[in-house]
Amino acid sequence: MRLALAIGTFLILAIHGVVFYNQFSHRWERNQVAYFDQARSLAKSEAERTSLADRKPRIEQIVVTSFGETRVDRCTTCHIASDDPRFVNHAQPLRTHPYSPALGDLEKNGKWERRHKFSEFGCTVCHDGQGRGLSPEYSHGQDHYWPDPLLGYATQAGWRKDFLPMLKGKAYLEANCAQCHTEPGFRGTPTVERGRQLFFATNCYGCHKIEGLSDGTIGPDLSEVGRMWKVDYLWARIADPKSVLATSIMPKFNLKEDEIRALVVFLKSRKGKNFTETEIQRFKVKTAGGAELVQATLRPVVIKPGEMVAQGGKLIEDRACTACHKLGGRDGGIAPDLSFQGLLKDESWIFAHFKNPRSTVPDSIMPAFRFTDDEFKAMTSSLVSQKSVPPLGSPAATYQALCQRCHGEKGDGHGLIAEHLDPYPRDLTNAGFMNSKPFARLVDSIRNGVPGTSMPAWGRILDEAKAKELLDHIQKTFVKDPRKEPPVRQVDDKNVVAMSKESMDRGAGIFVARCAGCHGKKADGKGANALDILPRPRNLRNGWFVNYASDRRLAESILYGVQGTAMPPWIDYGLSRNDVGDLINYIRGINPKPKGDQNAGAK
Amino acid sequence: MSADTRNRSGLAGALRDLPRNVWNSIFRNPVPSNDVERSATTFTNFFLHIHPVKVHPNSLRPIYTMGLGLISFFLFLILVLTGIALMFYYVPATSQAYDRMLDLRGSVAFGTILRNMHRWAAHGMVAVVFLHMCRVFFTGAYKKPREFNWVLGVVLFLVTLLLSFTGYLLPWDQLAFWAITVGAAIAGYAPVVGKEIQFLLMGGNAVGQEALLRFYVLHVAVLPAVMTVLVAVHFWRIRKDGGLSRPPEAEIKPDLEVTRPPAVLDPKRTYGLQGLVRGPLTRVGDLPDNELYSWPHLFRAELFVLVVTVSVILLLSLAFNAPLEEPVNALHPPNPAKAPWYFLGLQEMVSYSAFWGGIGVPGIFVLLLLLTPYLDRNPKGVGKWFAKERLLANTVFLTFVVVNVIFVIIGTFFRGPNWAFVTPW
Repeated sequence: MRLALAIGTFLILAIHGVVFYNQFSHRWERNQVAYFDQARSLAKSEAERTSLADRKPRIEQIVVTSFGETRVDRCTTCHIASDDPRFVNHAQPLRTHPYSPALGDLEKNGKWERRHKFSEFGCTVCHDGQGRGLSPEYSHGQDHYWPDPLLGYATQAGWRKDFLPMLKGKAYLEANCAQCHTEPGFRGTPTVERGRQLFFATNCYGCHKIEGLSDGTIGPDLSEVGRMWKVDYLWARIADPKSVLATSIMPKFNLKEDEIRALVVFLKSRKGKNFTETEIQRFKVKTAGGAELVQATLRPVVIKPGEMVAQGGKLIEDRACTACHKLGGRDGGIAPDLSFQGLLKDESWIFAHFKNPRSTVPDSIMPAFRFTDDEFKAMTSSLVSQKSVPPLGSPAATYQALCQRCHGEKGDGHGLIAEHLDPYPRDLTNAGFMNSKPFARLVDSIRNGVPGTSMPAWGRILDEAKAKELLDHIQKTFVKDPRKEPPVRQVDDKNVVAMSKESMDRGAGIFVARCAGCHGKKADGKGANALDILPRPRNLRNGWFVNYASDRRLAESILYGVQGTAMPPWIDYGLSRNDVGDLINYIRGINPKPKGDQNAGAK
Repeated sequence: MSADTRNRSGLAGALRDLPRNVWNSIFRNPVPSNDVERSATTFTNFFLHIHPVKVHPNSLRPIYTMGLGLISFFLFLILVLTGIALMFYYVPATSQAYDRMLDLRGSVAFGTILRNMHRWAAHGMVAVVFLHMCRVFFTGAYKKPREFNWVLGVVLFLVTLLLSFTGYLLPWDQLAFWAITVGAAIAGYAPVVGKEIQFLLMGGNAVGQEALLRFYVLHVAVLPAVMTVLVAVHFWRIRKDGGLSRPPEAEIKPDLEVTRPPAVLDPKRTYGLQGLVRGPLTRVGDLPDNELYSWPHLFRAELFVLVVTVSVILLLSLAFNAPLEEPVNALHPPNPAKAPWYFLGLQEMVSYSAFWGGIGVPGIFVLLLLLTPYLDRNPKGVGKWFAKERLLANTVFLTFVVVNVIFVIIGTFFRGPNWAFVTPW
């Protein structure tokens, strides 16, 4: 017992010894003593020497109050020679901070004067890092939890090893320069400027919002992305989006390393609020939006009438269309194949789709890019010229070449790009649905497409015979049930109720009572039950589709239901033919007749 | 006491006698060398007089108590001392708290070691208090007459949890913010008053400045005061309930006939106050007992536990730094956001059912714990680990302990993003 007590007591004493040693022997003290010694040997006057001899190590700190929240920067405790011009050639930490005309420093009679005085700016305003820290690991921000490691210098343990070399360099510091020097084209921040241009040139703005710059809604808002994330995350998110989030739908853009770096630096400079803005300026930007700035930042290409196709092709390549679409050698794996677009769509459709994708496919996720009309026209010409017919051999090969991208290898509607399409591609293994539609209508859907959806008209590629062969193949391979023609129902070709205000009102009443649960109160297909239903309820605000569907088809779908889907036969639930007529009038009434033609088709 | 207490004369003599006189005025007794002095030392020293003069050898068996109660108390002392030191530097304001943590880590003298000691002692105390409760249960030590002390012990365990929980928020980093957000949300699942309790606790609908201030006041003033008072009562009850529990066969029955019926007072006799309260049973004379003098047996054992406790905490604090994560970002929860480890069992249960996991089951547990000595009235099996007579009670309690520990382990190591099951290897 006595021995154990003695050991324990000794242990406590020993630990106290270690604690006290750690407390009173700091690395920064040794650094300062070394500085005093060297400065004494460099000193010219006796007075300077005595004053240096009197100096004792102490914590140096700069309290910075002019730049956002108050900062306490103790960096000069170790970097005590940072403002002493005699230490230019010493090793860190005892080294003079470089003087440079690029930083605005002035040389007068051999003496440099700093533009950014440390006493006013401190260190972390430009460099990031943890100003309060006194050990290299913590103050440089190498601690995994510190949100702002020294920009372009410090890396953290959790960062991806293959990115580490790319995350170093002075260029990253520009992100902080840009907190004050916000004017576009500022000479000191070329990387930020390049990143800003790339943000528009590579179409980032189509999906992402940055307050005052862009207003995309598909991807996350990037207004404060520089404050929220470290450079390694930004790099990974651009260079390899799926590595960060497996469900990310962001395309992997074909960017070079210096382009990624420029984008990362630009994004790092987006901190929501910079030091030059006043609250009222922020409010103005918020209310006015940033459309003008976008137009000013995009550099429109001058289109020469004679070179429309070539220039359009180059634009399609430069503006990263293949980050989503398939064209030439590249395939983004998110949007349809454009290799034979000239055979599927005509010029007016493509142009209208460019101007506003939702004007032609109401639920398209394609962003509306802000190119000039000339640019759009050139790109349209280029697409219209894409007429290379894919090799069509057997019906199986045809399916593989034309249908599989959306409908999937197994025909179940889970193709490569299916999750990005709305409405979702039809599940061709759903025998209930496939056998409830007349053969002629299925052929029509293939050859003339389904307006308002991503199903194009294949008529110029597949003639009647080929389409039938393809359908037979689908029936055998995917539907599997033998083909049965559905019975012809007793439904009037024309709506039995004449269009009128009263009829629409009655239809609206029935719609709210019977249909809104699935199709939604707004008839947009997003009712309360919609998420539980596959295929999803039809969006009845899709003007193209509603206009395309005949009275007979609508009436039949409502009265007798749609087999293989959740749509029940309403004739069994007490809807009369007149009720259905009112519903059709209501649905047609809320969808203005769209202008133009949807598909090039067989016509 | 001894012979050399005679004073020299004159001023010079007074000065020469000064050290001895000061010493003797503080310590009434010399270092004891016989049983009378041993008794007197224990009896007359403020810090020692809470102990009995003699203790039963069963109380000194390390394997019986494992010193868990003492360790809890010493950890509490360490926490009070380091906590007071930290209070000199801490500011309970959202704008400053995290910066103060950085300063403690970087530039305040002894800041790191104090914070580490406070953090590890706090975690340790939660664990040790729980183990202490297990010890008391498995040795049947809560039985008559110690029922109420068990109840006090359960309340002390809850106060320990609350102290640790309120302290968790104070660093104001991501770990703290989200752990408290989760923990306070669990309180919100209580029926009827849940949301009100949550609001009262946080001073708003979300963890913010008000919550920080409330947790701070609870942590440094209210709960320590409650803890101190309850610990004092807990200790006092140990004495008044007849010392630590021990098996009946370890007692030596004094071979003494009580000839006088206790209730009848002899009008011609003078009774001491204690004799009146407890009955005239004051035993005088050389009674047979097998008890040992507290000095040195008990005090040496206590000193040993103190030295071990302090050493372990110091070693831990030297080896491991208390975590400090990112500054609070209310818009960016970590995935998963986890409560402090001792509440992860609750969080795990909450992931199955908010009410039953967060309030129902734990509420029933606490109620059962409080009622344990009143439900289990079987007087047998006291003072022995896992006594055969208490097979049922011990099995039930062991199941309760194991289930809770398993839930805590699952919550701590086997839950990943979206509270999905992950393996830690």
